[in-house]
Amino acid sequence: MTILDDVRKSVIEGDLNATQDKVNQALADKISPESVLKEGLISAMSEVGRMFENGEFYVPEMLISARAMKGGLAILRPLLASANIKPIGKVIIGTVQGDLHDIGKNLVGMMLEGAGFEVIDLGVDVSPEKYVAAVLEHHPDLVCCSALLTTTMPRMKDIVQALRAASLREAVKVMIGGAPVTEQYAVETGADGFAPDAASAAQRARQLIQA
Amino acid sequence: MNKREVIYTVLNGQTPAYIPWSCGFTKEAKAKLEEHFKPLDLEEALQNHILKLGSDIGFFTDLGQEHVQDVFGVVWDRSIDKDIGNVSGCVLPEPTLGDYSFPDPLDQRFFADIPAKIERYGERFRVFQIGFSLYERAWTLRGMQNLLMDYYDHPDFVHGLLEAVADYNIAQIQEAMKYDIDAVYFGDDWGQQHGLQMGPRLWRQFIYPVLKRMYAVVHGAGKFVFIHSCGDVDELFDDLIGIGLNCFNPFQPEVMDVASLTERYRGRLTFHGGLSTQRTLPFGTVEDVRMETQRLLKMGAPGRYIFAPAHDVEGDVPLENMLAFIELLQNQPGFREQ
Repeated sequence: MTILDDVRKSVIEGDLNATQDKVNQALADKISPESVLKEGLISAMSEVGRMFENGEFYVPEMLISARAMKGGLAILRPLLASANIKPIGKVIIGTVQGDLHDIGKNLVGMMLEGAGFEVIDLGVDVSPEKYVAAVLEHHPDLVCCSALLTTTMPRMKDIVQALRAASLREAVKVMIGGAPVTEQYAVETGADGFAPDAASAAQRARQLIQA
Repeated sequence: MNKREVIYTVLNGQTPAYIPWSCGFTKEAKAKLEEHFKPLDLEEALQNHILKLGSDIGFFTDLGQEHVQDVFGVVWDRSIDKDIGNVSGCVLPEPTLGDYSFPDPLDQRFFADIPAKIERYGERFRVFQIGFSLYERAWTLRGMQNLLMDYYDHPDFVHGLLEAVADYNIAQIQEAMKYDIDAVYFGDDWGQQHGLQMGPRLWRQFIYPVLKRMYAVVHGAGKFVFIHSCGDVDELFDDLIGIGLNCFNPFQPEVMDVASLTERYRGRLTFHGGLSTQRTLPFGTVEDVRMETQRLLKMGAPGRYIFAPAHDVEGDVPLENMLAFIELLQNQPGFREQ
């Protein structure tokens, strides 16, 4: 096993301390921060996503793996910045206005971070106006909206319309998700995409920003 | 045959004269129905077959600014969700019970109205409810993400916390058994839209043994075990039946195949729920609601089925859609002839 295999393994096992040790060891071995990120952390989180989709991993395993990944990323982040290595894209994410459910949104945020995105979390109960203000401030590639309730799903359409009214709709992709949300609903709201769970959200986000 | 006897018929696997029902509504949906049915009392208008006793979500102290505190010390933000709310803060920030002490399970507020309710609705099937009955109680105290990681980081703490919740519940169940009740109803959501939140392995390791202990107390007193668990949890049915589950709610058609599960478990498990609250009720037409209701009534005709929307009906459901299923239920020939 190479040291990058060790990084991957420790993330998949959700071992925060081992991940940080292995990341430090990889850097000491003169492996570039970008390689540690891509071939270690991102590769591991992609495997975590695959295992989640296959029913081998559930939310607890995803949480501890994401925590380990974040621990590794914290070491790499200043090195990546000084080497001018950019994230693959910038995302703003939130749970829509009138909805306070956050675990699904948090999982999607973690998986997006684990896929190499910079993630700005706007929290819960986020109004269309706050989304627009965040797009103006952060210039993201992707806007993600989560809702658990049928009563709050219509706010997704309001967000798309608010972005359109602010002439920002063409500047970003919009992805929606949450228990009652469907692909068809994404089409109806004018969003660009839908993801049924956190693991596929990371894949879908990559596709959307490349489209 | 009164409503209580109809539910007994269903639970015992016999064919009822009609499909019984017990439908729940959120505050907003209830307000629409109350307006429609006034001056008739809503309970009278709905003719539910199950009488809910105890308190499913407990009792609360008003803290002002739309925040309330439950008897466990958990603060709930009700600024948006007016029925239950969302947990604010964390009662157990560290993975230890430390100085934390559980509230009094015999708090008389849980039992005070039981005699009056039984007096008024004695012909209904009496269910003592325990909401947030295990995993949910644990995560409301510890925080959901914390608890899910504690399964790996601090398993002994999780076991201890769950056993303490069970001790609290069992003391309350034993007190409830002093009244003439028929069943205990445990609410605890384990599912996601797809699959379990914690997966079957951790569920069997942490949740199952504690459920087994609680269900045994109920069966030991000769009562039925009902549960409510939202989401895609049908992979647990065999385990649950094995430890004495009698009736499962909410039976959500968006996450499980209600028709094939009814067939597969007929004779072993009664289902309560089934009408789509994520799609048909909020977004369907009156005709869609009628068709789905008729399909469910036909499916349940041989027995082991109690009709309900698969969640308390939310405020976005049109009044006509609520009335559509209520009318079909109450027009069942077997019910009208009672």
